[in-house]
Amino acid sequence: MSTPVQQYVPKERQVLTPPAKRRRFSRSARVRFTNRLFTYYFWFSILALCLVLGLVIFFIGKTAFLTFRDISFADFFLSFNWTPEEEHYGAAAFIINTLSLTALTLALAVPVSVGLAVLIAEIAPGWLKNAMRPILDLLVGVPSIVYGYLGLTVLIPFLRRLSGENLGDGLLAAALVLALMVLPTICRISDDAISAVPKKYREAAYAMGSTRLQVMMRVVIPAAGRGIIAAVIMGMTRAIGETMAVVMVIGNTAQLAKSLFTPASVLTSNIVMQISNVEFDSTWNYALHMMAFLLLIISFVLILFIRYLGRKGREQA
Amino acid sequence: MSEWTRTRKMQRSLVYDRLATYGFYGLGILVLLLIFWLLLTILGKGLPGLSLEFLMKLPEDMDPGGGIGPVLFNSFYILILSLLISVPIGVGAGIYMAEYAPPNKFTEVLRICVESLSSVPSIVFGMLGLAIFAEYFQIGLTILGGAVSLAFLNLPMLARVTEEAVRAVQNDVKNASYALGMTKFQCIRTVVIPMAMQGIVTGICLVAGRAFGESAVILLTAGLSTSGEMWDFNLFSPGETLAVHLWYVQSEAIVEDARQIADKSAAVLVIVVLMMNLLFRIPLWISNRRLKK
Amino acid sequence: MKLFKKLTLAAVTSLVAVTTLVGSASAASGISGKITINGSTALLPLTLQAAKEFQKINPKVRISASGKGSVTGPQAVKKGIADIGACDWDASMDVPGFKAFEGQVANKVAVIPFATVTNKNVKVNNLTTEQLKGIFSGKITNWKEVGGDDADIVVITRAFGSGTRVNYQAKALAGGDIVKKAKNYKEVGSSGDMKTAVSTTPNAIGYIDLVYVNSDIKALSYNGVQPTTDNVINGSYKIWAYGYYMTKGQPTGATKAFIEYVQSAKFQQGSLKKLKFIPISAMR
Repeated sequence: MSTPVQQYVPKERQVLTPPAKRRRFSRSARVRFTNRLFTYYFWFSILALCLVLGLVIFFIGKTAFLTFRDISFADFFLSFNWTPEEEHYGAAAFIINTLSLTALTLALAVPVSVGLAVLIAEIAPGWLKNAMRPILDLLVGVPSIVYGYLGLTVLIPFLRRLSGENLGDGLLAAALVLALMVLPTICRISDDAISAVPKKYREAAYAMGSTRLQVMMRVVIPAAGRGIIAAVIMGMTRAIGETMAVVMVIGNTAQLAKSLFTPASVLTSNIVMQISNVEFDSTWNYALHMMAFLLLIISFVLILFIRYLGRKGREQA
Repeated sequence: MSEWTRTRKMQRSLVYDRLATYGFYGLGILVLLLIFWLLLTILGKGLPGLSLEFLMKLPEDMDPGGGIGPVLFNSFYILILSLLISVPIGVGAGIYMAEYAPPNKFTEVLRICVESLSSVPSIVFGMLGLAIFAEYFQIGLTILGGAVSLAFLNLPMLARVTEEAVRAVQNDVKNASYALGMTKFQCIRTVVIPMAMQGIVTGICLVAGRAFGESAVILLTAGLSTSGEMWDFNLFSPGETLAVHLWYVQSEAIVEDARQIADKSAAVLVIVVLMMNLLFRIPLWISNRRLKK
Repeated sequence: MKLFKKLTLAAVTSLVAVTTLVGSASAASGISGKITINGSTALLPLTLQAAKEFQKINPKVRISASGKGSVTGPQAVKKGIADIGACDWDASMDVPGFKAFEGQVANKVAVIPFATVTNKNVKVNNLTTEQLKGIFSGKITNWKEVGGDDADIVVITRAFGSGTRVNYQAKALAGGDIVKKAKNYKEVGSSGDMKTAVSTTPNAIGYIDLVYVNSDIKALSYNGVQPTTDNVINGSYKIWAYGYYMTKGQPTGATKAFIEYVQSAKFQQGSLKKLKFIPISAMR
């Protein structure tokens, strides 16, 4: 990339204007005024965003930390026993299940969606591009309970036949549904990132005799790396936070998923299944809020990790 | 390039290249088939019974033959209200993060916070909305509460997508505009935003589609009933949306034709999202075409 | 952009002003007011239908309803978010798992029968209390043991705290436990999901409000008695419960009028029966 020179941009007062033309409503005054106005506007937007952020964190956190009035840290994080009816609030199984479900979903979704993004952005002819983009956007709009319903009535009977299990619910079913749900998110944002790579990079690489595959793998994808990583992160956070569909296919049983077909429960599905059936002022409710807070922390850590991987990958390239 | 200059390595590269192209096309076809199957199942079940009457009639709880009129209207109304709130703020915040924010640790932490926010299950946003509007302001379950909570849900995603799109604009172009003596805002308005428009529109499409299909937030903040009349613009009416109605019909309703109503509602949702995408994209195509000429 | 914002703000404030004006003006005549109803989803079809009819008679009353879970009802009433909390049990008394809500009045509105249901491939037609207890506590795991084919029993149940589960456990299992198992066990979030899950999973057993039972699933007899409305009324089928509207103290104003409407003979014998609930007056 070329040198960023924004920091050398003259401050608004120094904008070159001949003193003779400095009337009150002159063009430059107006320009300076809107410039200042919109700087404030952008400031206001980011403050509003921070406010929402703070509000959510405060709202969840406030209730969440009441959990530890009644139970210890170790009980919550290390115990696998979640039977709130009997005052056991161990969330370890949910945490591990959430991590494995996320990993499984990404393993299924990322190669497919990035591959598809490359196809759309680099290989496909124009008409196909214009057709595929809206079709993918369409997938985003399918409500999650429709995904859940199809999962329940089509995918699970299929998996049941395939595996010979009695139920078929479990991590694999949930990961397949989630992968389909995050595919458009990851694909569309990576597609935009790949399309935004300047043409001259490609031309330079082709001029050196590279094949298209080489150009894509060595030049385009690394150059779009930042955007692709953002896409993966957004897909991942949606997968972590998705509920309505997961609830219908995962089995909702508070236990560690020892195989792909064990009926299990993740943080989100457990929150959704139980939060409407608990009393406001109970440890149970606090523990559920703690789990929501934990989701925030888990995704925070995972995002840092993906960023780190991405940076390392780019250094090697 | 004539035959004899091809080394073995080049030969291999060419074969790989060919294979990869087939591979990518294969993948694309596979995914497309999957998507078409999905759409066919949803639309195939719902479209045949669809009529204008179904789209305009009031929902029924007892007799078969209920429609989705007010529910569909509420869907649009809440979506538009929430976009009116979230788009200006989300895009503004995204531009701030990309153009104004100092590149320090705080900005970085803020960015990751914004990202993690999208992993909070939407039901938690619903509960936040419930706490703010029903408990604090005491206005009950309203369209206003639903729209604002939905905007909260969408803000982070919109801000992040905008930021990425703005960052992808090359520095050369910006530098060129600064060299012409533009102020920062002039540069953003005339250069950065038009170039990032495609990305921003993608963001809005993603967000709008998701908001249209969102049920947990609306269920808690706008309720599960309508005021029982069409074209009710009152911000303080209860505002059941189509997605919520779909959830209700699929999980609790006891009318005989619940399954058919669910199928039809799902089909309507998908069609509306498709049309919304086109609506957002057509102006973009036109302006792109004009740019190319 | 800025101007636009100001305009929206102005529009919103004027709308607020108009609605408050209209609201206060109409308070003078007839029954008027705003009723918010929250709580059990099982009672929701009834609530929505009643609200529609009631608003037709009293156009000045605005009713908004929502549903999430039984306990949400009395809780919302306690917090002042809702005027009426629909609940599948009497929340003014202790039930297993939930404490009584002090100062709330339970208004009976309907009788809800429940049924044990299985997938259609199951050959068993009748189960006794002891057999059901064995199945749901995980002691009986094969249909062979209760007179069916040699196949694993797949238990499908509602989440803890669901009104259906509370009532089913109390009435059908005589207070017996529903025990989590490592395999062949699944929890679902709503009556609709229960129906779909039982009808698509071979060898599955579950329980559901009688109104949802249709040809996709099979309803079993309980101790030899078929689950029908008549058997509930004549007292031979025991798995049923009252549905309640919880209010803070005795209901007043519009809320009172609405509950009275739901309890009136006109609604109980008309729409309520059509919705396949049982009128409260039918029970002795």
